[in-house]
Amino acid sequence: MQTSKGQLGALGAPAVLFTVAMIAFPVAYTLYLSFEAFSSTGTTRFIGAGNYTRMVNDESFWNGVVITFYLYILSLVLQLFFGTALALLMFRAKRLPGFVRSLFISPFMLPPVVAGMMWLVILDPSLGAANYILTSLGLPPSEWLASPQWVVPTLALIDTWQWSPYVALIVLGGLQSLPPSVYEAAEIDGASGWKRLWRITLPLLLPTLVTAMVLRSVDLLRFFDLIYITTQGGPANASLTLNIYGFRTGFEFFQLGYASALMVTLSVIVLGVTLALNRLRHIVAW
Amino acid sequence: MQREETMASRKLTLVGGIVAALALSTTAGSALAQGFDWKAHKGETITFLANNNPVASAILKHQDEFTALTGIKLKVDSYQEQQMRQRLLTVLNARSDEVDVFMTLPSREGRQYAAAGWYTDLTPFVKDSVSSDYDFDGLGKALVDAARFDGILTGLPLNIEGPVLYYRTDIFKKCNVEPPKTIADIQSAAQTIKKCDSSITPFASRGLKPALPYTFSNFLHNMGGEYMKDGKSNLCSPEGKAALQAYANLLKDYGPPGVVNYSFYQLTSLYRAGRSAMSFQSSNEFPSVMEGGARLKDTAIVPLPKGDGGSVPTTIGWALTISAFSDHKDAAWYFLQWATSPKMQAELALEGIAPPRQSVSQDPQYKAWLEEQPLRQQWQKTLDELAKTGTSEVGFPIVENPESREYIGQAVDQILLGEADVDTACKAADEALDGLIARQ
Repeated sequence: MQTSKGQLGALGAPAVLFTVAMIAFPVAYTLYLSFEAFSSTGTTRFIGAGNYTRMVNDESFWNGVVITFYLYILSLVLQLFFGTALALLMFRAKRLPGFVRSLFISPFMLPPVVAGMMWLVILDPSLGAANYILTSLGLPPSEWLASPQWVVPTLALIDTWQWSPYVALIVLGGLQSLPPSVYEAAEIDGASGWKRLWRITLPLLLPTLVTAMVLRSVDLLRFFDLIYITTQGGPANASLTLNIYGFRTGFEFFQLGYASALMVTLSVIVLGVTLALNRLRHIVAW
Repeated sequence: MQREETMASRKLTLVGGIVAALALSTTAGSALAQGFDWKAHKGETITFLANNNPVASAILKHQDEFTALTGIKLKVDSYQEQQMRQRLLTVLNARSDEVDVFMTLPSREGRQYAAAGWYTDLTPFVKDSVSSDYDFDGLGKALVDAARFDGILTGLPLNIEGPVLYYRTDIFKKCNVEPPKTIADIQSAAQTIKKCDSSITPFASRGLKPALPYTFSNFLHNMGGEYMKDGKSNLCSPEGKAALQAYANLLKDYGPPGVVNYSFYQLTSLYRAGRSAMSFQSSNEFPSVMEGGARLKDTAIVPLPKGDGGSVPTTIGWALTISAFSDHKDAAWYFLQWATSPKMQAELALEGIAPPRQSVSQDPQYKAWLEEQPLRQQWQKTLDELAKTGTSEVGFPIVENPESREYIGQAVDQILLGEADVDTACKAADEALDGLIARQ
């Protein structure tokens, strides 16, 4: 029995409609809320672009933008560097025992809350292991997450510890798909290992690296759970990313309209960065 | 984390459970005799949104007894404090009947939820539908009043708590320091201890921005300060500045490294490990602090010593309330009445949940529990003092109380981190808070 295209369409329509509704409704509703003002007694009124104009003059918003990008760029650079290094190591050491490979990739399997709690204990300036090790080596102790200067780099390091293995897996896939003929030609021409890495491997890996950047960018720009567990945006406002600021504004201070406007803005930023990176992917494609 | 109320739970003995069951059966019997029928709502189901803290855990150990007594089925949704509030916000904002009973902190969100009309007024229930053994008047008056907004009784107290000063008697003795009698004494004691034993943190308290108003408020009130005067923020008053300076400088000069991120968890760990000489933190942490027994013999507990304005401790408590959108308000009221009854609160007290009823502290079983350890008696004596003289004002007495705490925390942290002096910090906070007050 033959099935017509129309019949197939009718069969698939409910699932498609459901999926679209699940995506479209929350987005549309958040957009709608972003034009509303919520009083603390729960009443709402339409204020047009009021929430957006408020954002322009809101110091915490701009502070959030700066911290979001600072954390994003620092984490991304570190993760690409260590992820690529780890992938090269795993690619070269083909005989690496299975459990060592599993150990390498295990951090990103931990739930962020567990990772957050674990690092909170390790980095405690008074009782944590990190300062114990530093002082045992004769180095000065650090305040880690409690230092306004160091909180973002510390968060970036924790995230790098957790997500570099994920980047490594993506890069490893890319390494395995590189054409061997290029390497054979380079070897015949007498290119050294470093030259092969800089002139062949890394340029050919660029599309893979950009894919990893896209995947990590979405998460990093929405950085939330680790900060929520460890600092809640502090000390002072030193780790108050846009996402944390929006969350606290909505769920702790009841300003759901303004929080929605903040989240719409963050979504636009994420979308913009993703589109820009997608364009870059086309440019570096080979 | 912003949890103000935490406590390690003690295991309830089997004997205690049986006694509770018998006691409640007796309560039911005598109530029935007077026309109150615990079975009036048999077969109904109510949903309880609980904060997953020791108070709720202790109550829920007895939930089968509630169902046996009333025939009402209890469905429990349990979350951590922050997540519980997120869920509440979603449910109540949608005016949904999904939640019948929930836990609330009147000192924090009471005014806000009351203004939004999210609480059921419990006044008619406590007047007209009570078992003869309930003794509504036996509940701590200050806590009941703290849950009353514009004449509406929004909740019934489950426990009593407040920040108290835990200090190490052995270190004080070794360093030849007298127990502090004033806030200034805390500063001089901390200074002496710092010189005497550099391995000990002289003083520790909350530094985490959203959490610190709980402890700071006691400093402000003891200094004679008040958050608002003539409808304006009053942090830059001489008393306000003195409190900001005293609290922030104690943490800055004598606190542990990283104190700016400290909440209950770090404070308890540090004190229990014997690494701090004075710890100003929640009375609820008593069981956790004493866990392992290392601190039982070398600790003393007192309310925060007085300041220039005398002694005005912070005294708050969790309350149990009924959602305004509940379809089972009468059945929900039975749960409230059962959970806050004298007998039930006597049971909870044996697990270290400080009772909000004076009568419970006279309960023979509870008295025996207190007498097992002299320090438990000190703890109870301190709580009695809190109940008598305390205020539940934590943060500004406005609808946006939760947001007001943000600016108080910011002012303290700016001084603590050396980002601003007290004048700059209080001025910025006053400006932000005046804006918040005006928004009401």
